[in-house]
Amino acid sequence: MTSHDVRDMLDLPDAAASRPTKKQKISTQRPTLKGLAREVQNLSGDNPIAIVPEISVFKKRRFASRKPAAKWELRSFKNPAREDDSLTLRHWRRKQETPPAPAGYDGSTDLPDTTNPEPEIERSAFAKFNVQVNVPDYTDDEYNKRLQNPDWSKEETDYLMDLAKQFDLRWPVIWDRYEYEPIIPSMDVETNQTAIVVTSKVRSMEDLKARYYFVAATMMMLRKPPIQMNTAEFNLHEVMLNFNPGQETLRKKFAEAAFRRTKEEAREEESLLLELKRILARSEKLNDERRELYARLETPPSTGNIGIYTSSQGLQQLLQQLMTVDKTKKRKSLMVGDGVSPAAGPSGQAQNANADRRESSVRESTTGPSGAPGKKGAQGPSERRQLTEEEERIYGVSRHERLTSGPAFRLERISKPLISKSAVQQTKISNVLTELEVPQRLIMPTAEVGEAYESVLQSINVLLEARKVADKLAGEVAVAKAQKAEKEKAARLARGEPADGDADAAVNGTGEAEGSEVKQEEREKSVAASIKGGGAHKRSASVLSAASDKNTKRQKK
Amino acid sequence: MAPPNNQKRVKGVQIFRPFVYGSTAKLFDPATNPKPPGTPEDHTHSWTVFVKGVDDTDITYWCKKVQFKLHDSIPNPLRCTDFPSYLLPAKGIYWKKQANIPILAIEAGAPGTPFQVHETGWGEFEIAIKLYYIPESLEKPQTLYHHLRLHPYGNTETEKETMRQAPQIISWAYEEQLFNEPYEQFYDLLTSPVDRSKGAGGKGTKMMKGGMVGSSGERTSLIPLSCRPGQPFSRETEKAELKRLREAQGKVEEMTKKLQSELRDTEKELASLKEG
Repeated sequence: MTSHDVRDMLDLPDAAASRPTKKQKISTQRPTLKGLAREVQNLSGDNPIAIVPEISVFKKRRFASRKPAAKWELRSFKNPAREDDSLTLRHWRRKQETPPAPAGYDGSTDLPDTTNPEPEIERSAFAKFNVQVNVPDYTDDEYNKRLQNPDWSKEETDYLMDLAKQFDLRWPVIWDRYEYEPIIPSMDVETNQTAIVVTSKVRSMEDLKARYYFVAATMMMLRKPPIQMNTAEFNLHEVMLNFNPGQETLRKKFAEAAFRRTKEEAREEESLLLELKRILARSEKLNDERRELYARLETPPSTGNIGIYTSSQGLQQLLQQLMTVDKTKKRKSLMVGDGVSPAAGPSGQAQNANADRRESSVRESTTGPSGAPGKKGAQGPSERRQLTEEEERIYGVSRHERLTSGPAFRLERISKPLISKSAVQQTKISNVLTELEVPQRLIMPTAEVGEAYESVLQSINVLLEARKVADKLAGEVAVAKAQKAEKEKAARLARGEPADGDADAAVNGTGEAEGSEVKQEEREKSVAASIKGGGAHKRSASVLSAASDKNTKRQKK
Repeated sequence: MAPPNNQKRVKGVQIFRPFVYGSTAKLFDPATNPKPPGTPEDHTHSWTVFVKGVDDTDITYWCKKVQFKLHDSIPNPLRCTDFPSYLLPAKGIYWKKQANIPILAIEAGAPGTPFQVHETGWGEFEIAIKLYYIPESLEKPQTLYHHLRLHPYGNTETEKETMRQAPQIISWAYEEQLFNEPYEQFYDLLTSPVDRSKGAGGKGTKMMKGGMVGSSGERTSLIPLSCRPGQPFSRETEKAELKRLREAQGKVEEMTKKLQSELRDTEKELASLKEG
């Protein structure tokens, strides 16, 4: 739009003289400003626009292919895939560029040109696609042995094989062309007229396939036992052997039904499928929700100490804690998408720790000494993964009443009761162990072995106690005998009899009975004890051992 | 690693992991076991002390490092200026620098590979084996003691003789590492198959490297059902041991019974003596 146009619109008188000159100017400028709309150019008024328009440059034409037009010729060729060798067809082919022959030999060059291609008639490039199918062949003998079928005669089988070969196993074609006329045994004309006309059976494609596959698989097996086949061959064999005509028919029927269903039916089916999907998804969700609910129901109610929250300070603290938990939870729920993440943030963890402590204390107090370990596991905090018994066995997890936390070695634990004993006791026990041919160091210190070892040690302890008591008793007997002898001696002396070897012998005998380990003072003590408790003659061994236990304890003190 | 006070122990729970430690020694022999160049003249045996999983399973997911404290006479190459080349430690093995005593620390390598030290020597001594656990466990290291065996040992001559016949002197011990009340993170690690530790945060990935590569990936406490050559520890061995222990217990109880009946007799004798 120029100033002139504006004037024109406003019905302003124009300086008519200036117009033509301007137009001329513009027209002179125009070639330089190509590519811009006229209106845009006009906007600038008299001043040229300071935009450099893009000058589109076209590609230069290629002159390289400026050659004389290619020459084509009609050439004859043969297709070796064809059975009739005589047929020669022709097709257009690019003429071979013969090197320019020297001038003047025009006539002579023509001659070899025509003679040369003649001997080598081109073979069709498509001949290689004519692949022949390997149709199983069989001898009469083989047929009679393996391929007999009451439904199929040999002739018909042969016919089928021929068709299969002819149509390259294109089953629809084979089925279409299948017109087997059973050969009527040559008879007299009269009989022929009266004879029942053998009607050719109507074979379905599946029948044909089943027969063919059976024959092919059988022949394959005969030619090469399945063990020697390679994988491809074996797979083929399996497929052919497992051909099920009934299933195939069903499949085709189904496919056809699916093909022929109306639009409404198809739509209905689709909607039903969708519905099913939705139902499944919903039930899954429902299950999840239910599981979550159960999990929540199962978590033990915290009956922890609320004492700290009774004071206002404690309440304030609780409020703060809850608020921080809430915050972190919100953040977490935004990230994860579930509102109840058990462990949230550091403060949440601290609270968790609280809960855990509470819980563990509850557990310790509620479960008695007979607390079933399995139940305890089930009671564990919900955030920890629950292990099944099988998993516990696999991962070597076990639960115990009292444990000193930290790593330890099993053998150490097992041999602890032994090591904690005095050196004398230890040597005694180890002596017994060597006597029993139990190695000092257990070969397999597993939990079970540990238990067995412990019970062995216990019974050894009982044995050792019994031995101790036996020693003591022997001492007592010896003393008693000695006393008796003494008394007798005194009595004899009182009677005025001379001391004879009788008493000596008694003393000697008791000396032999004495245990070598029994000390003199122990003997005296036990004598004193036996004198004190002389009334109870028929004490059982266990009571005795208990008494001696006390004795030894006193000695230790 | 999270600060320890953030972690709590799983109460009342014990987890164990079996492992094998011990030594294998071989006499130097020009034909079968030639001396490596640079070995001192008086050394008679080559030996290996090791800590590994039963049936060569992975233990590196709970054991980070193993230290072997060898005999004082074995030179620590970090102390000696001219140490023989055969003592140069391989990758992942290093001598403790400050120690005046030779301590070799073996870092966990590929999962399933044993922690081991190859040495040569002439004398038997006690080796202190210190197990360091992975940092996630927050547990202190523990020490085991193993007596290096170079010569046939045993209670009877026949045992010694069979050992003499064997190509090498084997002194292996089965042991179970107990983790009493492990920390929760460690508990999770010990009670999960390898893939689960992926989600265990930043630390998990580090261990993943270990777990994934090994063929023996399963981190369980199971031991093989039966023995194989070179793998003497199994359920079978355990059963045999149990049987022996039960027999021993039976014998002890029999002996106790006999003794107690004898006791009763002596008591009676004593009573009669006193009355008399």
